[in-house]
Amino acid sequence: MKVTAPRAGNLWVALRAALDQLGVEYVEPPRPTQRTLNLGARYSPEWMCVPFKIVLGNFIEAIELGADTVVMAEGINLCRLGYFAKLHEQILHDIGYPHVKMLRFSWQEKIIGLVKFLRGVLGEDLSWREIVGYIKYGLQQIIVMEDLEKRAHRLRPRAVNPEAVSRLWQQAGPRVSAAHTAPRLKAVAKAIHAELDRVELKPGFEPLRVAFLGEFMMVLEPSYNMDLEEELGKRGVEVVRHSWIAEWAKIWLFLELIGLGHGDDFKKAARPYLRRDVSGEAMQTLGETVLHAQEGFDGIIHIQPFTCMPEIMAQNIMPRVVSDHPIPVLPLLVDEQTGRAGLITRLEAFVDLMERRRVLKRRGTGSQRGVV
Amino acid sequence: MKRIGIPRALLYYQYFPMWRTFFETLGAQVVVSLPTNREVVTTGQARLVAETCLPVKIYAGHVCWLRDQGADSIFIPAIRSVEDGAYNCGKFLGLPDLMKAVVEDCPPLLEIDLDVPKGQRELYKAIYGLGRHFTANPLKIKKAAEAAWQAHLGYQARLRTGLTPLEVLEDTADMFHVPRSQFQVGGTRNVRPGTLAGTADFGLRTSSLTVAVVGHPYCVYDTFMNHDLLAKLRQMGVRVVTYEMAPEEGIEEGIRRLAGTKYWTYEGEVVGAAGYYFQEPQVDGVISVAVFACGPDSTMLEVVRHAAKKEGQRYMSLIIDEHTAEAGLVTRLEAFVDMLARCKRRASPPPGLASCQGGICPAN
Repeated sequence: MKVTAPRAGNLWVALRAALDQLGVEYVEPPRPTQRTLNLGARYSPEWMCVPFKIVLGNFIEAIELGADTVVMAEGINLCRLGYFAKLHEQILHDIGYPHVKMLRFSWQEKIIGLVKFLRGVLGEDLSWREIVGYIKYGLQQIIVMEDLEKRAHRLRPRAVNPEAVSRLWQQAGPRVSAAHTAPRLKAVAKAIHAELDRVELKPGFEPLRVAFLGEFMMVLEPSYNMDLEEELGKRGVEVVRHSWIAEWAKIWLFLELIGLGHGDDFKKAARPYLRRDVSGEAMQTLGETVLHAQEGFDGIIHIQPFTCMPEIMAQNIMPRVVSDHPIPVLPLLVDEQTGRAGLITRLEAFVDLMERRRVLKRRGTGSQRGVV
Repeated sequence: MKRIGIPRALLYYQYFPMWRTFFETLGAQVVVSLPTNREVVTTGQARLVAETCLPVKIYAGHVCWLRDQGADSIFIPAIRSVEDGAYNCGKFLGLPDLMKAVVEDCPPLLEIDLDVPKGQRELYKAIYGLGRHFTANPLKIKKAAEAAWQAHLGYQARLRTGLTPLEVLEDTADMFHVPRSQFQVGGTRNVRPGTLAGTADFGLRTSSLTVAVVGHPYCVYDTFMNHDLLAKLRQMGVRVVTYEMAPEEGIEEGIRRLAGTKYWTYEGEVVGAAGYYFQEPQVDGVISVAVFACGPDSTMLEVVRHAAKKEGQRYMSLIIDEHTAEAGLVTRLEAFVDMLARCKRRASPPPGLASCQGGICPAN
C-alpha cells in the first residue's frame, strides 16, 4: 500500500513523519503547479471550485509516482467539500485508475472517526493508545511548523534580506519531519528559531499590516494562493492569517466535542451583517474584517476560489461591513485561468494604496475608505 | 391590513401556496412580485458581484420590485435543512442577511429560521416566532400553520396530476388577489400525442415524443430566465414531464441508484428525477437545466452525466446564465428533439449521449 493525501499547508510534514515511523509508504504529492491545476481542471466538472481541481490534479500526480491509495475527508455540510471524496473516486476510476483505492474519513465523527479511520488504514491490532500517540506526535510537528511559519511571516517584511528568511523556512520542513522523537523535535525547533534570530532586521521599520482572510485551503496552502504571503513579505508587508491546521484541529478534535467552538469574537463581530453560519469561512471573513479594522490594520485581502459557495456570500456583504468599518479590501478570485503576474500587479497596486493611505492618515487628512 | 411581499423566485415555486395561506389566515395581504423580466434581472445584477448565481441575482431584483411597490414587509425564509442528513446551499440560509446587505432601503423582513433536523419543538418555535408578527394568540398561529400545511399538501397532490407549478398557480390565481394576467404560463399545455396538428412541422413525428426536463423549479419555471423552455418544447409537439410529476418513491430510488446517499435536499429535483426518468420507458430523453456557477449542481450534474454515459441514456445538459441567447437554445433543443425522433423512428433506437459539456455538442 502506497498512501497519498492532499497537500494542505504543513500537513505533509506530520504525515511523512508519522507514516515513516509506522513503516507505511507515503507518496508525497508534488507541490501543486499549473500542470497540477490543468490536470485537475481537465477532468473536473467545469465550475467546480479550485480546491477540488488542485486536489484531483495532486492525486493524479501522486498516482503517477506510484501511489495506489488516496486519503480524503468527507462529511455532510452546506458546502460541497463533503462531496469531494465521492466525486474524486468516481473521476479517478473513470479516467483510467480503477485500481486506486479511496479511503475516506468522516470529519463529523471527530477524533473517534479519526482513530477509527487510522485503525482501518494501519491495521486493527493497533491500540487506541498508540493511535492517539501518533495523532499527538503529528500535531506536535504541525504546531512546530506553524510556529515557524508565523515567525517567518513576521520576520520577512522586517528583514534586510527577505530571501534569507524564505530560505530558512523552506529548509525547515524536511528538517522537522526528519526528527523522529519528541526531544529531537524540540531541539530542531530550537535550532531553527536560533537561526531565525540571527536574521538581520531593518532598523526602525514599521511594515504595513494585512489580514489574509477567505476560504481555508486557499489561505492555508501557499501553492494555491501563488505564495501571496511571501510576495507581500518581500514588499515589506506583514501578513496575519487565521487558517492554521493546529488551530483547526484543536477546535475540531477537542473543543467541539465538549460544546465549544471557535472563539466567539468574530461571530459577535459578524452578527450585524451575517446572523447565520452559512458554512465555510464566510462568517470568519466578515467578523475578522471588523476586528482587524478596529485593530488598525492597513488592509484586508479576501481570497476565494471562483464559484465558492460560502465566500460569495461574504463578498456580497463585504461592502456593507466596510462602509461601517472603513478598511481597504482586496477581493481575489482564483481559478485555473488566474495568472501569477496579474495577481502580483494587483498586490502591488494594493500595497501602494495602503502606503498612501497611511501617509494621509499620519497627516490627518484623506478618506478612510476604499474597496479595491 | 399589512401587505407582505413574496418574491417570485427561488423557493416560491415549491412553497408559495403554503406561505400565502399562512399569512392570509393571519389576516395579512400577500403581494407577489411580477414574473421575472429584463428590468428585474438588471436591477438584481447591479447589486450583486458578478460571480453570484443568476437565481440569487433575480431574487434581489424581485425584492427591489416589492420594495418599490411599497410592501410593508418582505417574507424571506432562512432554510438550513428540511430533512435529516441533507443540507441546502448556504445561499438559502443566508438569503435574509444577503438581501439586507445588497438592497438599499430594504423594508423590514419577515424571517424564519428552518432547521428541521433540530426537532419538532424548534420548528414550532420558529413558526410561532413568525406568527407573532401578526397575533399574540398561539392558537391562531397554530390554525394558520395547519391550514398552510393543508394547502401545501393540496398543491403537491395537484402537481402529481401532470400539471406544472405555473399551471396550478394560474388555476388558483384568483385566490391570490393578483390579476390572472400576472401569471405567465407560456405555451400550450401538454397535449396528447397527435392532437397538436401543424405546430411541429419537423418532417418527423415529434408529437409522440416525451421529454423529461429536470432541474430546480426556479430554473425550469422561470420563463424569462430559460427563454420559456417548456413552451418551446411543447411547440415542437413534445410532451414534457418534470420533477413534480414523478412519484416520490421513484425520486428516492433514482437518487439511490445514481448517487447512493443523499447530500443535498434539492438533489431529488436533479439526480432523483433524472434517475427516475432514465428508467421510464415512455420518456424518450432527459434535459437537465441548471444555472452557471451553481454549487450543488456542479456536483449533481456530474453524477447525472456519469450515469447517462454508463447507461447509454439520451441526455442533454443546458447551462443558463444571464447571457444565454435564445437562438442558441432553440438550435440545441431542435437538434436534441431531432435526434430523439430519429432514434424513435428506428425500431431499436441506438443509445447515444448528447451531453453538452461546456456548450459543445458532439456531432451525431
